[in-house]
Amino acid sequence: MADIEATLLDIIKEHAVGLTAPLTRETPVADLGIDSFSIVEIIYEVEEKLSIEVPFNANENPFGEMTSVGDLVDALKKLAKAE
Amino acid sequence: MSRRVAVTGLGVVSAIGADQNTFWHNLSNGVCGIRHRTITADEDLSFELPIAAVEGIDDRLAGLGRDVARSDRFTKFAVLAADEAVADSGLEFDEALGARTATIIGTGIGGQSSLDEGYFNMLRKGRRPHPLTILRIIPNAPASHLAIRYGLRGPAFAISSACASGAHAIGVCADLIRSGAADAGLAGASEAALTFGGLEAWRAMHILSDDLCRPFSKNRKGLVIGEGAGVLVLEEYDRAVARGATIHAELVGFGMNADGKDMINPAVEGAAGAMQLAIDGLNINRPEAVYINAHGTGTLMNDPTETRAIREVFGAGANRLIVSSTKSMHGHLLGAAGGVETVAAILALEKNIIPPTINLDEFDPDCDLDYAPNEAHARPLEFAISNSFAFGGLNAVLAFRKPA
Repeated sequence: MADIEATLLDIIKEHAVGLTAPLTRETPVADLGIDSFSIVEIIYEVEEKLSIEVPFNANENPFGEMTSVGDLVDALKKLAKAE
Repeated sequence: MSRRVAVTGLGVVSAIGADQNTFWHNLSNGVCGIRHRTITADEDLSFELPIAAVEGIDDRLAGLGRDVARSDRFTKFAVLAADEAVADSGLEFDEALGARTATIIGTGIGGQSSLDEGYFNMLRKGRRPHPLTILRIIPNAPASHLAIRYGLRGPAFAISSACASGAHAIGVCADLIRSGAADAGLAGASEAALTFGGLEAWRAMHILSDDLCRPFSKNRKGLVIGEGAGVLVLEEYDRAVARGATIHAELVGFGMNADGKDMINPAVEGAAGAMQLAIDGLNINRPEAVYINAHGTGTLMNDPTETRAIREVFGAGANRLIVSSTKSMHGHLLGAAGGVETVAAILALEKNIIPPTINLDEFDPDCDLDYAPNEAHARPLEFAISNSFAFGGLNAVLAFRKPA
């Protein structure tokens, strides 16, 4: 499933307008500079690019605990049941 | 002592200019922004139509920042116009002023491009709409984006009254300042509905011209739809004077009412009533110093109705007024019409030049005022009036006076 991880990182990178250093799993989410629009856009692009449906409900705060990009990628993979 | 309202900033986006200077240059030179364009949604979905589209400013629209870049075209127009108006005013919205500034931006439709795109993707491609679709189509998107962009925390909302939206927005914002609910405001309107779906709906109504917009001309054939935005910075008058602002005009009158009669056909009494409310108390005793930027759509019904309404209000003085419809050049911007035409009226007042009604080449006995046909006229002005009369019979008229 390395492809999926690479795709997810690519999608996140496009939205990481605040990031100057290279994007890795260790990059803190806080450094990405993503805003309230970005999460819904990222989910949408994951769905479009991977032809899957992400059962995401913003009200369930599925990203509440994440601190690093690795956490974000893992959360997306879990939502996408891609693992 | 009652509070007064100054106009200290102007911003405009239209087919004949997306900044004040270009707009005025073209407006005063009778430049027509109407072109035949092919409107396409897909290979089997297209038609040709004269429209007044905003072209050649994609770079400026893309450069409005990340938030705005992801908004609908009508929001981008509003932001571009507002940025110009704010820069023109020289205002800086600090914490205190931001809390006392209103943001009232009208629109007739809202995010038509995003609606079209969403339905097209769903029904033609089997794809879901973009997740930001709702945030793009809501009519208050321009007001919200501007409130965020400038830190404005006073009253903010959209006004929708079809072709009177812009005039209503400016008038209501002025009333908020007069009443003390705000000390300043961004007010105007935006429209970007030149999409396949949007224009098909207009075509279905059978009131569009197949060539030009010819207001008050016997050979008029109907509307030509345009797009764009007009935004004003309004300020409590004494405050503007105290900070040494350049005052374009004083907003001295606002009249609004409803015909209460018909969804399509306009009524003389409604239009006249709104004009009368706008000029009540102004003591206009020199009608030759009054310019009326007419609603002047170039439809069979509007132009003689508006002419009769003007005659009813001004009586014998109507023959000394000068009237023009700048829609002949920038098209009918629907909800944004009142915004852009208010900018036109105020520039005319400042410069003492009346922009022409172009394409007026055949006299109609039912349209018998001085419409500044085909060439700009120079004349010392004291007042400018902007008329907006909407489908559904909703009327809004604004009156401005040259600052003392």
